[in-house]
Amino acid sequence: MSGAPEETFGELRGQLQEAATAFADGPDALEGILLGLVDDVDRAVREPLEIFPVCHHSPASAIAMARRLREKQPKVVYLELCEDMAPLLTELRNCRLPVAVQSFASEVDGFPAEWSPLSVVAPITEASAEYQAIAYALDTPGVDLVLVDRSSDHVFQWDARAGYDAGPAGPDAPPPEEEAALHGDAVGVEIGDLRPRFAELEEHLLRHGKVRHWSEWWHQYVELPLGDSDHDTYRQVMLLIGSLFRRLAPGDPHRVRVDEDRERYMWTRMREHLAATGTDPEDCLYVCGAFHAASRVEEFGVAGSDTFEITPRSATTWLHGLIPSSHAAIEAQFGLASGSVSIAATLWAKNLRRTRVKPFVLAGQAGTKKPRPAKTTAAPVPDLPASDKLTGFLQQPPVLDRLDEAELLGWSVEIVRAARRNGYLASTADAIAVFETSILLAGMRDRARPTPYDFQDAAVTCIEKDSVPGRRDVRRLVEIMMGGDRVGQVGYEALPPLARDVHDRLAPLNLKLQQRGVQRALLDIASRPELERCSDVLWMLRHLMPGGAARTVMGERKLGERPIQESWDLALGTHQRALIELGYEGVSIEQVLEQRLRRTAYGPQATAATVLEAVEDATLYLRSRRLADELGNRALEVLSAERTVDGAPEVLRRVRRLLAYYRTSEPVLPPWIEAFTKAGYAHYCTLLPTAFTDEDATVRQVAAMLGFLFSMENLALSLGCDRTQLELALAQSHPQEPSRTALLWAAQVHLGHLTREDLRAKCDELLGNPLVVPAYPRYLSGFVQALEPVPGLTDFVVEAVSNAFGRLPDPVLLPWLPTLITTLRADGAELAPLLIREAGRIFPGRLATLDQWVPPWKAQPVPDAGPPAPSEGGGCVLLAAHPASCDALAGLLGCDGTWETAAPDPSGAALVGRHPDTAVALEALLV
Amino acid sequence: MSDLLRAPAEIKYAEELDWLESIDDNPKPFSWRLSPKMVRLFILGSERSDGLDRDIAQKWYGDRSFVERSIVTLASDRGLLLIGDPGTGKSWLAELLSAAISRNSTLVVQGTAGTTEDHIKYSWNVSMVIAKGQSRESMIPSPIMTAMETGAIGRFEELTRSTSDVQDALISILSEKYISVPELDSDSIVFAKPGFSVIATANSRDRGVNDLSSALKRRFNFVRIPVVTNKKSETEIVRFRTEELLRRHQIELDVPPTLLDVLLQSFADLRATAAAAGSDDEKLESALSTAEQIGVLEDAILHSNFFGERALTAHTLASSLVGSLARREPEDLAILNKYLHGVVEPRSKAEGGSWPEFLEGGRDAIATLS
Repeated sequence: MSGAPEETFGELRGQLQEAATAFADGPDALEGILLGLVDDVDRAVREPLEIFPVCHHSPASAIAMARRLREKQPKVVYLELCEDMAPLLTELRNCRLPVAVQSFASEVDGFPAEWSPLSVVAPITEASAEYQAIAYALDTPGVDLVLVDRSSDHVFQWDARAGYDAGPAGPDAPPPEEEAALHGDAVGVEIGDLRPRFAELEEHLLRHGKVRHWSEWWHQYVELPLGDSDHDTYRQVMLLIGSLFRRLAPGDPHRVRVDEDRERYMWTRMREHLAATGTDPEDCLYVCGAFHAASRVEEFGVAGSDTFEITPRSATTWLHGLIPSSHAAIEAQFGLASGSVSIAATLWAKNLRRTRVKPFVLAGQAGTKKPRPAKTTAAPVPDLPASDKLTGFLQQPPVLDRLDEAELLGWSVEIVRAARRNGYLASTADAIAVFETSILLAGMRDRARPTPYDFQDAAVTCIEKDSVPGRRDVRRLVEIMMGGDRVGQVGYEALPPLARDVHDRLAPLNLKLQQRGVQRALLDIASRPELERCSDVLWMLRHLMPGGAARTVMGERKLGERPIQESWDLALGTHQRALIELGYEGVSIEQVLEQRLRRTAYGPQATAATVLEAVEDATLYLRSRRLADELGNRALEVLSAERTVDGAPEVLRRVRRLLAYYRTSEPVLPPWIEAFTKAGYAHYCTLLPTAFTDEDATVRQVAAMLGFLFSMENLALSLGCDRTQLELALAQSHPQEPSRTALLWAAQVHLGHLTREDLRAKCDELLGNPLVVPAYPRYLSGFVQALEPVPGLTDFVVEAVSNAFGRLPDPVLLPWLPTLITTLRADGAELAPLLIREAGRIFPGRLATLDQWVPPWKAQPVPDAGPPAPSEGGGCVLLAAHPASCDALAGLLGCDGTWETAAPDPSGAALVGRHPDTAVALEALLV
Repeated sequence: MSDLLRAPAEIKYAEELDWLESIDDNPKPFSWRLSPKMVRLFILGSERSDGLDRDIAQKWYGDRSFVERSIVTLASDRGLLLIGDPGTGKSWLAELLSAAISRNSTLVVQGTAGTTEDHIKYSWNVSMVIAKGQSRESMIPSPIMTAMETGAIGRFEELTRSTSDVQDALISILSEKYISVPELDSDSIVFAKPGFSVIATANSRDRGVNDLSSALKRRFNFVRIPVVTNKKSETEIVRFRTEELLRRHQIELDVPPTLLDVLLQSFADLRATAAAAGSDDEKLESALSTAEQIGVLEDAILHSNFFGERALTAHTLASSLVGSLARREPEDLAILNKYLHGVVEPRSKAEGGSWPEFLEGGRDAIATLS
């Protein structure tokens, strides 16, 4: 073990004491802090259970971890990661990193409902110490990997909703890219969060380090110097940094409390495990962030006190899965500088080549080269007592990395090529300038060798001009060149059953749907009927997943129609997270869709219209009569409970569509829709008088109610409704507002209570009264809406509109025109064609005929001849003259009636007698 | 006190530059008077950790990487083009750079629509030409040519205001580093000495008026100076420039910090309005830069000092804000009116402080102007 003798840091303590005296003129807080740092390091080093401090996405940590694991070969690895995520880690081998382990809960119990869904993600990259530890522990027989951090449930239990603010983006920050949103709005947890907790310290470090952001500081002042250091130096330096940030962090008390509680939690768990398994603490390794390694809580250490009580988890059911992650997503989630994780990945690869350390890789890890058969692992190296490595490290001058001229030249040439591809007018001269400027910049910043960040600055200086010609600027191009964003992928085996099922069912499409990017699927269902099942899956995915995942290019799904050909743009690989999260809701998409439809229908916000939409979706996507019937009954319940008519237009539209569908496809109507019609008839009759006077109900809604009543009337009456109810309802309606009055008139015309002439007279009266004229357009609006319930009035509406154009004064007419146009545009998808067709029929088609044209309503009415005076006998004369057929019929029916004698005057024949010419001429022709 | 109305940086900070030169033991490129690190120190000011015996004040406020990139560009083969909105401190940075590097910031060509090639290269003293013929004596070198001859930094202000053919005269100067004088039979080429470079400034609002040719763009490194939106740095800049101004006018007047806050906040609000505006008519013509803020404050201070009660009030500040920003009638006035009633009025009710007086002053000023 790395135990240290009593006075390991004696010399360092003495020096620091002297320094404190010299700078602060005597023992005071400074001495306390400085000596406290050494105490923290000393305490952690002495701990029998070896603490391995790490920092996230630090290649130096990863290299040190790989080395240490090979040396020590611990039997148990304790890892600072949510303990409930353990079963998933072995699935990492099926994924291409980076991916994130996710805990997800959509139904919360014990947390405020508005927090739902709860989601915690822990991204894992290849260049991280935690991956090394996981790979070692999972692939080495006899080694236990124990996750000891609080569970995902505790993350939210301890969450004060103080906000996980990643800090404001800098002025130069590039716009967020699609990849940066890969984690959605999950709460991120990370192993080894190591960053100054108060802004002044960070600002001070950045200023003196002559760097722009924290990632660059870390790279320059910790990553590079620690790159080749031995284990003891690495450990002591990391502990020192952890302790420094901890001691100089006044910070937010809630955050400090959560951190300390986590440490208590972890140590309590470790002691429990040690006690349960009887493992020797010296055979264990505890991997945690350097910040937690320098902990001062009572429970710290194998011998710490057992005073912490772990609270039970809430009743929330947590589901776990792996979701794809990306460098950009990690940077966005944890407030790192753009490109820093990619640079860490590049540095890791380079360090591996340079140091020849053999990293641990999970067997079968996707996206990596096949590892060579492992040689027998060397025996563990016994630990020597740790000596004081800090003094030497703190006193040595900064490590100056040698100028790697070839590498810098390569970068310079490469960036110029990339810039040219992106539309910049860059040339070899620019490559030379970038090379030279990088070296000059590094020199100004006291570095012997330009860092990737210096190189980025140089490239921007020399290549970026006044505008960016393409999609990416030089800064972004450098980031891409330095490794670029890497997007992880969850392998098929690690997907939840639902996602696998989706991929299996879409296999007949022969597309590589796991890949990122958009792929075009062509489904010729007419010639390959088996593709119809794929089409079903795609329609469900379209309904369940975010916009771009499955998008129809051609094809639609409507009630009662069968697909023939469809064409889709699919991006399931890009939206893998959404698909995986669907997997938390059920084992098949049908189940998820059914749940969602039920949730919509039974939710507190459900209205009759939304429930009917769910019925329609259930029929369209699931073809489930059972669910449709159940939801239909629910629609009935919701409708009866509704007291407003807001959803009336939507209800009318959907019920009409469903009725049409059931009438054509089912032998009898489902009972629910009959009941719905009956209930709807009664419901809307009841609400009609109030709706006519209610200011909150719009004319369109009242029109839709009337539409429901008139168009469903036949069905409703056949089911036992009473028309009197409707007539009474209309009689009780006394609207004040002109448009509703017009609507009421239209309804009265429909029911025969008002003739067209009456209606026309009313309109004329309105136009003739100068006091009412300004309100006339509002009456017209009512008539336009009346086309929905009373389509037979279309010609009258055309007449009314024409009259308005002809007779209304401009100051009244013109302000109303926009209202007419917007009404027709908004609600008139069905109304406008009706009006146009009718207008086309009434108005002359050619200009020439316009002069003689008289509107039909202005034409002299043809004097009504009235019903013919009932004449004695009438048509009976003919019957009497030719009795044969009647007699035959009477004989057949068994009647023996007698013929009455008709009146003698031959009415029609008299004219012929008086004017015989026609008959004579006809006779001459026939003869 | 200097008897110049506005002394150039090398005179104003002569003593500081001398001192820095005396302690500078870092390598210096070409004929530079200070090493790149010292130039940076001169411009961005010193820190305790620099271990200097005296404090060097910060003279330009902005991201340090802009200064570093500018210095490095001047040490390389290319010219430096500072580009940005008006009032972002481009010319001031150019002046500081040339003062620190070559102790001469006055070799300036001002780009205008009337700038000709002669202003960039050379012209002739006509009477001398008549008397003695064309010779080096009768030639009048341009500031750029002088910079070449002395290995100094030449400055070209508002490069994009001059026409394209004039701009292109710079191409050969920047790449071949010499100017040939075909009128002379001998000694007809003026070569640039080491240390010569050009700092040009261009206003990004002028883009499209006289666009630079690609050939010229290639010979410049562009450093874009953004408008300072960080409140802390902006406060620093305004305070720094105001103190300088008060010193120059020998005015003893206090600028209350609350008024400084009112000024900064109102500019921040107006910038937000401009950013949200859909068309040019909905935003102020002014770029709302830091320099403009200083202008508003300067105006208010001078007004209070000479016409007021020798104390700066929110009323005066508001009238000078309206006076400086209202350039177009009625658009700008309408925007300011909307701002006063939509933003300042609720704030003055909610927060009180200097805001009610500021509102009153603004209203009065608008009433006077309309």
